[in-house]
Amino acid sequence: MTNESFDNLILELRRGVIVLAVLSRLDNEQYGYSLINSLKEHDLDIDQGTLYPLLRRLESQGLLQSNWRIEADHPRRYYSLSSEGRMLLPRLKEEWNSIVFMMKKML
Amino acid sequence: MVTNLIDAYVSEVGRRLPRKTRADIEAEIRSILQDMLEEHSRKTGKPEDNEMTLEVLRSYGDPEKIAASYMGERYLIGPRLYPIFMQVLRIVLIVTGVLAAIGLGMAIYQTALTPLNGFEAIVKAIANFGTSVMIALGNIVFIFAILEWALFRAGGKAEVKGMQVEKAWDPRSMREVSARNQVKMGETIVETVGCFAAIVIFNFYPQIIGITPSLNSVFKNGNWSSVTFLPLLSDVFFSYVPYLTLVWALTILLNIILLRLGHWTTITKVFVIGLRVINIFIAAAMLAGPSLIAVTSPALTGAIGDAEGARILMTMITQGVRVALWLAIIGGFIEVIRTIYRIITGNK
Repeated sequence: MTNESFDNLILELRRGVIVLAVLSRLDNEQYGYSLINSLKEHDLDIDQGTLYPLLRRLESQGLLQSNWRIEADHPRRYYSLSSEGRMLLPRLKEEWNSIVFMMKKML
Repeated sequence: MVTNLIDAYVSEVGRRLPRKTRADIEAEIRSILQDMLEEHSRKTGKPEDNEMTLEVLRSYGDPEKIAASYMGERYLIGPRLYPIFMQVLRIVLIVTGVLAAIGLGMAIYQTALTPLNGFEAIVKAIANFGTSVMIALGNIVFIFAILEWALFRAGGKAEVKGMQVEKAWDPRSMREVSARNQVKMGETIVETVGCFAAIVIFNFYPQIIGITPSLNSVFKNGNWSSVTFLPLLSDVFFSYVPYLTLVWALTILLNIILLRLGHWTTITKVFVIGLRVINIFIAAAMLAGPSLIAVTSPALTGAIGDAEGARILMTMITQGVRVALWLAIIGGFIEVIRTIYRIITGNK
């Protein structure tokens, strides 16, 4: 298997967890770049081209809300969980735990 | 200068985005880039400059790629229709190729062949083939793009709070549709393409339907004489075209409905009976009315320089049209009876 194929498999594996990871960080509002850093601190390095469109998609699905705020010298868009997102997050965490449990048994 | 570079980058991304979301995404990217630049400057302890901005832009990525990431995957012809699209394309290309070869054969046969006009005939045939392929390809892509939109985009999916969700598929629905009630996708799409081609040709390019006995000239009585194109169909035929167009358009509409439903219902069966009955009436009126053929025996004789050949060709054309009309009537009648029988015996 080539390195490229391996990288693609890893990318696919990680793609599944990105939504949960992002939602888990947005209990408190964050702007895009601070969110990237926050995820990085937890060893999850997300491509910018993946994260920002994802935030918009989650917002259009009603799981996130956003607002623009002028800070320092330029405007920033802050994202946080919507009420629907807050309701959904515990269920997603539960699902994630059962996936981890299942995969641990399997592997 | 730093701002200029960011402006240029944002505008590069923006021009690839839909107008509706452009300003918002541009503002967001600008804000992110400014954050990145500030962070970079803080980490390195250097002031923001051109070089630093270029580095940030490089790490952010190619504007084309960034714009694409906001757009998601979009298809003109999606994966579900693509196999049928290729199938139709293959058939149309083969038919076009065969017709071009026949045309070339006839042209060579009817022209006194010299190396020069033989070469000319081949070049013209290749050029005609190329044009026909391009027209066919364009029309097929156009039809499939409409089908893609009608079947899978316009209301084909249920919207749930902005999230696109496929309608739940119930396996029990399979039992409700017997094999004969299932819509044959390939056949339906081929018919749709045919109807669309007929609408385009008879309404917009009627001048291409005709006979060219040779390419441009014939060798007659020891002289080369110029031959003009002989239109095949008369004004009488074209007086029927509005009615035929209506039938073809309704057939396309019916086929789109059938492709979306995936199976025949009583209403679609009644619809098709109506269409076939109109077809039968049009064909019967054509049979009973004045000739649909514009080309005459003398004109054909003048064109090919052979009275006997012209007479045979005229008989073939006239009888061919009559046979085609009778086939349309008989075929339509059989389909009407068969569909009525299917309605009476139930849909299952």
